[in-house]
Amino acid sequence: MKKFEDILAQCIDNIKAGRCSIEDCLNRYPSLRKQLEPLLRVALEIREPPDVKPSGSFKVKARVQLMEHIHDRQPVTKWPWARYNGQTKQIPLQRRFSMVSIIVAIVLTLSAVGGGTAYASQASLPGDTLYQVKLSTEQVRMMMPADDVGRAERALSFAERRVEEMEALAEKGRLQHLGLAVEKYDDAMAMVSTKMRQASNEGLPTGNITALVGNATARHLSVLDRVFDLVPPEAQAAIAQARNVSATGHFRALEALAQVDPLRAVEINMAAMEGRLDRVRERAMAGDMNGAEAALQQFETMAEFGEDISGIGQEMGKDTDEVEELIAAATSIHLEVLGEVWEGLPEQARPIIEEAMARAQIRHERRVQALEQKGIEAPHPQLGPQLSERVRERVENMLSQTRPLWPTIPGGGTSSGRPCPSCRR
Amino acid sequence: MYRDRSEGQTSDEAVLVERAVGRDANAFGKLYDMHVDRVYGHIYYRVGNEADAQDLTQQVFIKAWQAIDRYRKTATPFIAWLMTISHNLVIDFYRTRKDRAYLEAEVLASDSGLSPERAAEANLEQQRVRRAILQLRGDEQQVVILRFMEGFEFAEIATLLKKKEGNIRVILHRALVKLRDILEKEVEQS
Repeated sequence: MKKFEDILAQCIDNIKAGRCSIEDCLNRYPSLRKQLEPLLRVALEIREPPDVKPSGSFKVKARVQLMEHIHDRQPVTKWPWARYNGQTKQIPLQRRFSMVSIIVAIVLTLSAVGGGTAYASQASLPGDTLYQVKLSTEQVRMMMPADDVGRAERALSFAERRVEEMEALAEKGRLQHLGLAVEKYDDAMAMVSTKMRQASNEGLPTGNITALVGNATARHLSVLDRVFDLVPPEAQAAIAQARNVSATGHFRALEALAQVDPLRAVEINMAAMEGRLDRVRERAMAGDMNGAEAALQQFETMAEFGEDISGIGQEMGKDTDEVEELIAAATSIHLEVLGEVWEGLPEQARPIIEEAMARAQIRHERRVQALEQKGIEAPHPQLGPQLSERVRERVENMLSQTRPLWPTIPGGGTSSGRPCPSCRR
Repeated sequence: MYRDRSEGQTSDEAVLVERAVGRDANAFGKLYDMHVDRVYGHIYYRVGNEADAQDLTQQVFIKAWQAIDRYRKTATPFIAWLMTISHNLVIDFYRTRKDRAYLEAEVLASDSGLSPERAAEANLEQQRVRRAILQLRGDEQQVVILRFMEGFEFAEIATLLKKKEGNIRVILHRALVKLRDILEKEVEQS
């Protein structure tokens, strides 16, 4: 005879799977009805948890911190270039001296014998015989005297080389070596991040290097987009991974920059967002809505991050009015650009753009209201009537799920009396 | 229907796990990307606020990295292993909390297409159930959540908790009896 707990578990499974009703189950075990029924009802009251997701900016920050934790704390060398072999290797303390000896040997070898070889290797690509020489010269350059800001700059220049290598490999169709270039790019960006953090801990001025990294990573993203389009689907995952690395580096740098110069951080983030919008437009026009959607997601993560930058600035006691104004002006332009993209799309592809516009509109209206309360005027996007109506509907739908952001005024308008574009009919 | 969340590891994931066990940080980073949403959602349900959920989620992945060698010896999906780490951290979190505000936190159900009145009622109901679940003993709480919310099979839960499947069913039975009592008591008090 079956145990009660087995019958209970089976009944719950069957009911939840829709194979029978509570009554069916109780009829099957009439002698257990009294015990079974209340427990079945309790079990059926337990639903799936709400689908709560962490914010994009949290995920990026937590990932960066996790990687920093891994690279800082694990009992392996802090010399990340050792990972060029593809795996981190444990290097006991007593062997560190021999590692230094190896470096010295490389320097001597390169300068005394292989100067020409080292020079020639600079044009090599992953998979080429001279590629290891190229990497070795970079290792040596990292060991040359400099402060951590200087080292971060060097590592960034190596990261740029890796992006160029990916582009060259894709153009030459040498896809089997792309993974190596991506891995080395990841290593170089990890080094950039570590050196920036160390520079900050040492009290060195980091404004310029963080801005440099913020701009460079935005550029990397654009190049990697081109590479992504060049390679066949089976190689795209590697490039997508490289784009994630760029995005992580971008956020990490701007987060640091926001602490000293939030306006500059916002400017760089806005430029990167425009790059994403260009990508949205280009993919949408090519009929690649998956690509457009992916770029839109990146755009929205950056938009969300823009909100964080403003918050960081405030926390650091900076005057963020200028930051807020800049974001409002840029968002207004972004909405118009998305509007242009929307105009050029077939009907079935438009909802993705409308959704993104509605979210941007909500953010924009919040900001405009905050600025207006301070007596600062903010621009409003100029959208066509049909699109305004559609976006307004989506905004209202989104807001009905939370709380209203601005009162609906008969005839359309915000509480301050200024015209609200999403309210236009 | 249960959420179909316990589907076995894909071959891609298995490769990443193998590389992560070999201390490959990049592979572990990819595993983080794959599972961070689900770990966060699970923890958020149990602690009821964003700041603690974020903090504990970070700790889960750090602990997972530190203990990755031990994962090799288990035969459960990687996500199930992360859930166990999450559970242990949440239990520690409860222990160190002086107040019980996490019980009262409003963890809203996702949009279900219900009318606003019905949705409000459903949310209230789910808050009651959540409060009751969080008052269960550690292993009972874990079995209820892993089975009913995360959709793991009894066999997987048994492996994770190092118990026999039959024992897991016994724990589930005991948990449901307690839940019934807690919910009935709450109705009487109100």
